[in-house]
Amino acid sequence: MNAIIALSLFGISNLFLGFLNNRKILLPATLVFILIALGLNFADWNHEYYWFNNMLKTNNLSVNFVTIILLSTFLVVAISRSFGDDDEHSHPAEYYAILLFSAVGAIMMVTFENLIMLFVGLEILSVSMYVLTGSDKRSLRSNEAALKYFLMGSFATGILLFGVALVYGATSSFDIHGIAQGVAKAKEQMGGAYGPLLYSGVILIMVGLLFKISAAPFHFWTPDVYDGAPSIFTAFMSTVVKTAGVAATYRILSISFPSVYGLWGNPLVYIVCATLIIGNITAVYQQSFKRMLAYSSISHAGYLLITVLAKRPETNSSLLFYSLAYAIATITAFAVLMVVSEAQAKNGKADESFEALNGLANNNPLLAFSLTISMLSLAGIPLTAGFFGKFFVFSDAFSNPSSLFKWILVIAILMSTVGIYYYFKPIIAAYMKKGEVAKIELSPLYKFILILTTTLTILLGLAPDLVKNIF
Amino acid sequence: MPILSVLIFLPLIASLVVAFSPDQFKAYFKWFTLGVTAIELAICIYLYQNFNHDVADYQFLEQLDWITLPLGNLGIGSIDYLLGVDGISMPMVLLTGIVMFVGALSSFQIEQKERGYFSLYLLLTGSVIGCFMALDMFLFYLFFEFMLLPMYFLIGIWGGPRKEYASIKFFLYTLFGSIFILIVMIALYLSVVDPVETAVRIGLINDVSEITPQIITEVQNLLKDLKIPSEQIVHTFDLRFMPDAGNFLPDSWLNILSGTQIFSFSARALAFILLMIGFGIKLPAVPVHTWLPDAHVEAPTPVSVVLAGILLKIGGYGFLRIAYPIFPEVATEYAFVIVAFGVLSIIYGAFNALAMNDLKKMIAYSSVSHMGFVLLGIGSLTSEGINGAVYQMFSHGVLSAMLFLLVGVLYDRTHDRRIDSYQGLANKMPLYTAMTAIAFFASLGLPAFSGFIGEVFTLMGGFNSPLIPRWLTAIAAFGLVLGAGYFLWTLQRIFFGKYWVRQFEGTLEDLTFREKSMLYPLAILAFVFGIFPHLIFDLTNATISELLKLF
Repeated sequence: MNAIIALSLFGISNLFLGFLNNRKILLPATLVFILIALGLNFADWNHEYYWFNNMLKTNNLSVNFVTIILLSTFLVVAISRSFGDDDEHSHPAEYYAILLFSAVGAIMMVTFENLIMLFVGLEILSVSMYVLTGSDKRSLRSNEAALKYFLMGSFATGILLFGVALVYGATSSFDIHGIAQGVAKAKEQMGGAYGPLLYSGVILIMVGLLFKISAAPFHFWTPDVYDGAPSIFTAFMSTVVKTAGVAATYRILSISFPSVYGLWGNPLVYIVCATLIIGNITAVYQQSFKRMLAYSSISHAGYLLITVLAKRPETNSSLLFYSLAYAIATITAFAVLMVVSEAQAKNGKADESFEALNGLANNNPLLAFSLTISMLSLAGIPLTAGFFGKFFVFSDAFSNPSSLFKWILVIAILMSTVGIYYYFKPIIAAYMKKGEVAKIELSPLYKFILILTTTLTILLGLAPDLVKNIF
Repeated sequence: MPILSVLIFLPLIASLVVAFSPDQFKAYFKWFTLGVTAIELAICIYLYQNFNHDVADYQFLEQLDWITLPLGNLGIGSIDYLLGVDGISMPMVLLTGIVMFVGALSSFQIEQKERGYFSLYLLLTGSVIGCFMALDMFLFYLFFEFMLLPMYFLIGIWGGPRKEYASIKFFLYTLFGSIFILIVMIALYLSVVDPVETAVRIGLINDVSEITPQIITEVQNLLKDLKIPSEQIVHTFDLRFMPDAGNFLPDSWLNILSGTQIFSFSARALAFILLMIGFGIKLPAVPVHTWLPDAHVEAPTPVSVVLAGILLKIGGYGFLRIAYPIFPEVATEYAFVIVAFGVLSIIYGAFNALAMNDLKKMIAYSSVSHMGFVLLGIGSLTSEGINGAVYQMFSHGVLSAMLFLLVGVLYDRTHDRRIDSYQGLANKMPLYTAMTAIAFFASLGLPAFSGFIGEVFTLMGGFNSPLIPRWLTAIAAFGLVLGAGYFLWTLQRIFFGKYWVRQFEGTLEDLTFREKSMLYPLAILAFVFGIFPHLIFDLTNATISELLKLF
């Protein structure tokens, strides 16, 4: 948990590092900071600690989530390339600091023991993301995205806060274990029914969190914001924010409200189905690779929520595995998209559409290969991490006796076939379409990250028990 | 020596070698590939020679623990690297060796991006042959899915004008089917227990090697009485344990006694139907066959050869390896439906083949028709029928490879595949005409060629079977007449009459040495296997008699 303190301090020191004229030092410094935080995080392994007057709690599950979050942050920072050489428009010190701060928020969202901490964590994460979304300040799209995200996001946080207040009214506790007891007591008093306070409270909390992980029907902001934000921050948003959001949802629903499963489980079933269908079907029609990735992130929120819904003790390991596989593959995809669209923009050609990738494989075999592996993983083809992610999630749904899960399973399986269609579009563009992408020079670090993520994806596809046994 | 692993990993490693070797060796890639497939063929023949005909069980077994997953309350998941061949897979492995070798020879004409092509071709070889030898369902599924990727690129990059459409259609169809297989695979995995490993876990024995049939029975009894704590149950994908009803968890979905219903439908029947759809797409059976003509028309010749020669057989093989042994009672119940789809494929495919003007499409539809006989034979559930089905798969593998090579010969010279663009080729290309005539006659089921044996035995199975009405098989027999119709008509239109070729100025050369070296051996094989059918039947008989005891 010292990771939180350390990361906050590192963020501030990052701001001061920005006063130095040497921009080169920022990237390695931030990477080292994240690695230190990762090390501090591992110190909590195999202990159960309460922190800050029972505000946060660490256990192995939270350590695993924090590891995924920090790993994703590390990868995103590593592919940021100091945000270019544009002195006037980019402020790397601030960006790195905000990234570190938002990682703090994300960590709080997976370790909270008190709903106040959930709120604070969510706000830290969200406010940082509003800023980063609008960081391309001369771009109209970026500004629009930031404003949209801010307006809708602050409403969502308000709704969440309202829900927290109502739940407090029903159970007179902010503590998630206290709430669980309060719920049980209230249920006893009401003779098995639940009062309107609790009912609306739980639903509103869920709405607030589902907004953050862009589950349908709270997903409308996602495509525009993902599209408008600079790609590097979109990569961060679709991995770290999503992991933290799903983890928080899982945490609160499984700890505080397991005894009222019917209350949140039934609406969640429809939300999962809607998310899967809307995410996948809409992604088919996208012409822009980046927008397709936005819809794909919506669809993956659906698969992730299946584990939340399955409500078995084993499902947290599926959730972890899926998040990890998804994060690695998504970051690889964005890494390729970023360099390619930049190179194409220099030539004055199309930017983030699939056409930008045409003929990528001819001169850039590494980029094309990493892209292929990441797309295969997202599509869930065997021998990649994504396949086992889907496999575990489907197994969870299968082993649940409820008949609703059979419907979810049918939809999830149909939709993963739809997914294959659009995940193959970039592969087709890179290998089969005629086009020319000049040789793109990659820095050694960038190459290393691409090789690392690709290797990890294949490795987890060959031997998932390597990490599944830890989770 | 782990000979089956060599068979899988030799091409996979060779594929990496090709992928990473420098450009100056470009000219040798094809020779290298040919060499590797020749070694593969040699190993397959060695296996064929050393295969014990009297043993029904799996031979040349190789087993390694691969993935072990603790699943909490669900128990332990175990995935093994498990290989072996029996009477059903042995002919398929041999066929793979032959067709892949011929395909490599035919690939000599590939003139762009050789590195990618030969590397993918070798990858395909490894995964196809692995699919026929995998005895762990997970491993099977892995190879099954994995072979789609090289195939997808082989059609999509080296294919004809509509290659993108054809390749993605091929991919989506097969993948859609394989997702059905995935569902059943997960359900089976959650239902089936590995009695051997469970015995080790609960301390009945110390080591896997100490296993005896008594111990297995003991574990199965404990399982039936719910006496094993659920954390110690080892779930498995092992296909050897799945046919035994005793290995199913008592309250699981697919246990025959639990009678689970899904959407008011028996879970076992549903699982069987899903498997049939999944493998039926691969076979392909009408009405899920539409990817096949497209894929064939766009694919380059060697890829067509491999597609028709081997990939289609995986559908039929999947029926016999997975669907039938695990769900015998459902298979009996639905025998009529399965055979009906088989007969539909025979007739529908044949009528379509009659109507086609594109030579490749004609042959593609003739494949649909011929694979219908496989479905008929398997569905009949008689010894003749299933033996005939395996025989038909082998024979069709050889013959369709030959047919597509023959189309390739013509297409290489004129870049035209329309039947009505040719007339009287017999005058200019006598050898080519002779080869085509042999392939056509062998395919339409002329006695003394291999096609005849396959078709006759499947039809015999159909007539003998108590499960299906005679009239259905009689309709299937009518398919033979149609087959003769489209083959002979094509033969007549292309080869007889006065010589004329549309928009072609040069002279048509007869077969070159390379083409001869591909076609002659295949023609001889079709003849040899037609005269000595016991060469295949000896392999399959023992295993299939054992299989039929389940019904």
